[in-house]
Amino acid sequence: MQQIIPRAGACLFVLLAMPLAAKPIAYANGTTVMAEYGAGTMTEEQAYYAPRSWWSAGADAVQLQSADGRKQRHIVDVRANLLVKRWNLPGAQANVFVWGGLGQATGNDFAGSTLSRNAGFETDYETRRVYASFASDLQESDHYSHRIDTLQLGWAPYKHDYNTLATWIVVQGRQYTGELFRGTEKAILVRLFKGGTWVEAGVTTDGKPQAMAMFNF
Amino acid sequence: MRIFKSMLLVAMLGVSSIVSAKTIEMDVNGLVCAFCAQGIEKSLKALPPTSKVFVSLENRIVAVELKDGADIPDPQLRKAITDAGFTVVAIRRSDVTLDAIKQRVARQAAGHE
Repeated sequence: MQQIIPRAGACLFVLLAMPLAAKPIAYANGTTVMAEYGAGTMTEEQAYYAPRSWWSAGADAVQLQSADGRKQRHIVDVRANLLVKRWNLPGAQANVFVWGGLGQATGNDFAGSTLSRNAGFETDYETRRVYASFASDLQESDHYSHRIDTLQLGWAPYKHDYNTLATWIVVQGRQYTGELFRGTEKAILVRLFKGGTWVEAGVTTDGKPQAMAMFNF
Repeated sequence: MRIFKSMLLVAMLGVSSIVSAKTIEMDVNGLVCAFCAQGIEKSLKALPPTSKVFVSLENRIVAVELKDGADIPDPQLRKAITDAGFTVVAIRRSDVTLDAIKQRVARQAAGHE
């Protein structure tokens, strides 16, 4: 019980404080704001505006910390996202997104700040009962290179509709390169969304909380 | 002459139906996620002729109730749905109310259970 309360408190904290595999483009003239807390290894905040349904641009802040605490990165960049392809099927949708950005980064194992470069892609497929996505995000500079690969598989216990609460159970596997985390970080998440609000929270197999919140408006 | 009159009558009835259409119903592909479909309601509600919007993921339809005497041209409807990230596969105009469409959808949903 003494262990459960601090963990529940931590989950609640990250949900309130807010948390990669969500679509970076909402719709034409739509704004997407999202934040993710990734089990202590990664924290990310993003805000994008989409002038058209096939591209968006905005700002992205990423904080990375190695499992042993020896490497820390604080990256802030401007990023553009592009919808390369969308398949709208009668009972399913699939997408391919790519993105790229430039910014500034600081770290605890190099002096001053450095030009940061970001590139990535995401592909997803979903019906009203199953969901799968894979995203690869490269953060690099002259001092570091980290790639974050995230695979998510989701299952909905019931089919939601436009005005009802959607509930998903999502399993996630994530790998970091550049000595941030050894092996695959595995997590199970509960995802809820209704209207333009999306929240998800869960825990890794190491017992660390993970959460994300996203708003479209 | 009789054939001509019949054709004229059919044409007048057709025009009358379009002019007095209360709702537009669209079959839309890709409707699987309510969170992602918020843009449909937003873009259609921004059109002056729109009174109300109804989206059903189950039936894969988007319905628009029109203000009296108003209409939205098909290209504008297609643009609104495309801007929201989806694909229109059919557009129908009718005199049924949006509530009648909602009731039909509810009956169909109950029939599936």
